[in-house]
Amino acid sequence: MTQSLLVRGLVRRLEEAHYTSLSTPFKAASVEFDFTAALTGTGGRSLDLILIVDTATGDHGDRDAASVRQRIHALSRALDVTQSRYLLTVILAGASLSSLVDALSPICRVLSIEDAALEPDGTPSSAAAREALDDQIRLLLPLDLQQDAAAEPSVLADPIAELLAALPDGLDQDLLSGLAAASVRGEAAVTRALGKRVGEVLDLKAGA
Amino acid sequence: MTEAMLHALDITNFRSIRGSVHAPLDAKVVLVHGENGAGKTSLLSSIELALTGRVISLERADPAYADQLLLRGAKNGRIALQTSGLAGANTFETLLSPGGVASQNVLPPGPASFFSERCYLPQALLGQLLQIYQDSDSSPDSPLARFVTELLGLDRLDAIETGLLPVADLRNFRKSSTAYAPLESEKQRLDRLIADHQQARSVAERALTAALTEINAAWKILGQSDPIVEADLPTLSEHTALATDDVAAAQLVDQRRSLDSLRRGLAGEAGGTTEAGLAGAHRVAADALSQWTAEHGTAFEALSARVAKLLPTLSIPPSDTRAWHDAAMAQIAAAGREATALTRQAEADAARKIALAAELEVERKNLVTIDTEIALISDNAGSLAELLAEISAHIDSDICPVCDRNFAEKQDGALIDHVHAKVTRLSGSAERLLALGRNRSTQQEQIDRLVREQTTLSARELEPEAAADLARRAADLDAAAAELARLAAPIATRIGLLADETAARRALNEHQALSQSRAATAETLSAMAVAIELSPPDPLKPVADMIGELEAAIDQKLAVVRGRDQARRTIRDSLAQANMQLGRRRDADAALARDRATQRLHDAALKRAGRIRSDGQTIKGAVEAVRAQIISRAFNDRLNRLWRDLFIRLAPTEPFVPAFQIPSDVTHKLKPKLVTRHRAGGAGGTPGAMLSAGNLNTAALTLFVALHMTVTPQLPWLILDDPVQSMDDVHIAHFASLLRTLAKEHGRQVIVAVHDRQLFEYLRLELSPAYANDSLLTLELIRNATRDTELLPKRFQHKTETALRFAA
Repeated sequence: MTQSLLVRGLVRRLEEAHYTSLSTPFKAASVEFDFTAALTGTGGRSLDLILIVDTATGDHGDRDAASVRQRIHALSRALDVTQSRYLLTVILAGASLSSLVDALSPICRVLSIEDAALEPDGTPSSAAAREALDDQIRLLLPLDLQQDAAAEPSVLADPIAELLAALPDGLDQDLLSGLAAASVRGEAAVTRALGKRVGEVLDLKAGA
Repeated sequence: MTEAMLHALDITNFRSIRGSVHAPLDAKVVLVHGENGAGKTSLLSSIELALTGRVISLERADPAYADQLLLRGAKNGRIALQTSGLAGANTFETLLSPGGVASQNVLPPGPASFFSERCYLPQALLGQLLQIYQDSDSSPDSPLARFVTELLGLDRLDAIETGLLPVADLRNFRKSSTAYAPLESEKQRLDRLIADHQQARSVAERALTAALTEINAAWKILGQSDPIVEADLPTLSEHTALATDDVAAAQLVDQRRSLDSLRRGLAGEAGGTTEAGLAGAHRVAADALSQWTAEHGTAFEALSARVAKLLPTLSIPPSDTRAWHDAAMAQIAAAGREATALTRQAEADAARKIALAAELEVERKNLVTIDTEIALISDNAGSLAELLAEISAHIDSDICPVCDRNFAEKQDGALIDHVHAKVTRLSGSAERLLALGRNRSTQQEQIDRLVREQTTLSARELEPEAAADLARRAADLDAAAAELARLAAPIATRIGLLADETAARRALNEHQALSQSRAATAETLSAMAVAIELSPPDPLKPVADMIGELEAAIDQKLAVVRGRDQARRTIRDSLAQANMQLGRRRDADAALARDRATQRLHDAALKRAGRIRSDGQTIKGAVEAVRAQIISRAFNDRLNRLWRDLFIRLAPTEPFVPAFQIPSDVTHKLKPKLVTRHRAGGAGGTPGAMLSAGNLNTAALTLFVALHMTVTPQLPWLILDDPVQSMDDVHIAHFASLLRTLAKEHGRQVIVAVHDRQLFEYLRLELSPAYANDSLLTLELIRNATRDTELLPKRFQHKTETALRFAA
């Protein structure tokens, strides 16, 4: 393995996110392409094709912006030619010129990561370092919804329903439904609904 | 989760969609493309209308928006939506007519508001989002606060809380319904009425008790032992005890009156005189009278005869001696004086007659003398004197102005002196003539008077026999007067004797009469005693004592009878009073029953209102608690964390990340503060200051998505209406990736409308089906030649990717 620590860390992180490394070089439209690392997604991300360019220490002309541009343009063209639906994402690992990013942006998604604090085996050296690394490639990672199944019973998504659930039993149901219906139309409507219900119960026949 | 999915949509004449279109929606991703005005927003909002029965973003803009939903000019419209996987019905239909909207079936309230607030991001809201981030401040009325409030549904909670403010204060609560004040014042009136009725009732009750007390007191007098209670009152007036004893009383009064008259008849008996004594006294008086007659009888008879002769008009008989004596004395004295006066008159007249004749002779002679004197004086002496006096003015010599002769010839002084003397002489004669005239008439009057006197005298001149009779009668009268004077003492004695005898006789007669009636009286009294149930009186008792005892007994009985009468009157009066008070109490009870019933109704109504108020307070309190819950839940670190994830995904190079500063005081209105934080830690400024316009838009979008994602979705749908305005290519690429993540990794059915053709093509590529069951639909909205809306659907299926060949 001739990959740099940063590239190793990236590949490791992406593989954790269910990407699979492709063996390089590979051919597209009969053209051979060699990249420091290439990965493709699975499942919903199966059309994601990720290329990692090591602009600091890489081979294959990775350190030469023009060469990088050429290769990516070529691959893009090759994919177009084969009517591929691959979505190309290029990760520029290491410092890079913004002109390179600008040049690549029209044809693929470009992510740029200069540095990361990594252990020798490629794992982040701290939680903060991991967060910083994730931030750079967030787009490629699944959403972390921090789902807590117990926290949020879905039936309570409606504040009014939640309010009704929070209320003790035995309240005046006509008042409740009137207030709930009027709440959409604002406080004056609520006050009117209150007044209406008060008027109803004040009717001497109401108790009969 | 059972994958709920939108399947197909049929729209006819809704908003800007003209005619009918059918839109299949059964794909993981639906891309809608159309030029501006082609009906993208109409299509998306029709989904909301079909699902929830309303379009909240339009409702906010115009409460009467429902009238505008039908395509202008169309007669009717329809929206029909097919879904799958929902718990309830999966067919939603809304009919549109010029009169409004009629929804056949809508989602339950919970899912409906979830859809409106967290699934569907209409352009209008996105516009608000942009503004929100530019104008953010921390006031509770800031667009941010409003947006988040509305997004979280807190606006409804706020509306409930603010709308329920009147329940906090009773005065304000009263004003909440116009029915309150009248009801309350009516209740106060009833309270007063009831107090009045109670007062009236207790007054009547007291008066009734007083009347009963009086009745019972009188009842005892009537000898009744059972006390009268209220229940006895109605029949009391017929009670036999109240029958009158007028008859008994009248009898007693009659007997009492008889006794009175008996007692009067008894008067005089008390003298203790006896009949024998009285008879003796009468005999003594009669004897005294006889003795007197023997002594003076003859003289008295002679005198009485003489008086009778002299005074034939005296009607009093001599037996009534006192009156006779007094009248005779007076009349004889008067007649004597008259006779004497007449006699003296006759004597005086005779003397006068002679003197009168002489006087008359003298006067007549004087009259002749006066007449003679008058005759000597010329009648015209006066006028001649005047003429001569006038002529004298024309005499200035001795020549006579009448005859022109010279007076000097007479040798008798001057003519003027002569005329003056003549005038003086003539004037004196005239005066004397006047005086003589007066004298003559005086003389004549004197003569006439004397002649009249002579005539008077002649008229009353008595005949000689008459004069003698008169003198004789006068003498007789004098004699009779003397005789009366002489017999004055015996006559006085006779008067005394006569009076004694008369008194004695009368006393005797009366005594005899009384003695006869006593026996009858005693018998009467005895009968009377039996009649009034007393033992008969001792006949030996004096009648007066018997009467006294009977009177006392009768008086006592009368007193009892009258007392009973009085008691009956008292009972009747009190009974009337009691009946009146009973009536009043009955009236008061009826009024009380009536008004209390009404009052209970009022009380119940007010109590119900009070319960509504307390319910309102409970609800208001719950609103605060629920809001606090929602805010702390929605704004917890999970939201911020998710937002950060999403935001960084779209703007990986942006060092500042937006976040909500969670209000520490969450009990009152939401005051969210929007801040940025540096990725490496540390606070930044507000997003408006720290983020570019594109990143602000990104922040807004990601906030919406974050809010959608923070909760377990009730509906796994994300409908975005042209969300990428003013985004550059990099952001759009990232956004597309995000959509892909949401659709393909998080199971959201994503519907996105865009108007930009290139973007549409790009998204179609980016969102291409990635695996076997993945699917993509594109819907193109266009207007055909007749301006009707047409929809061209195109479905993309998964194809296995074969572009890459690997060397090994």
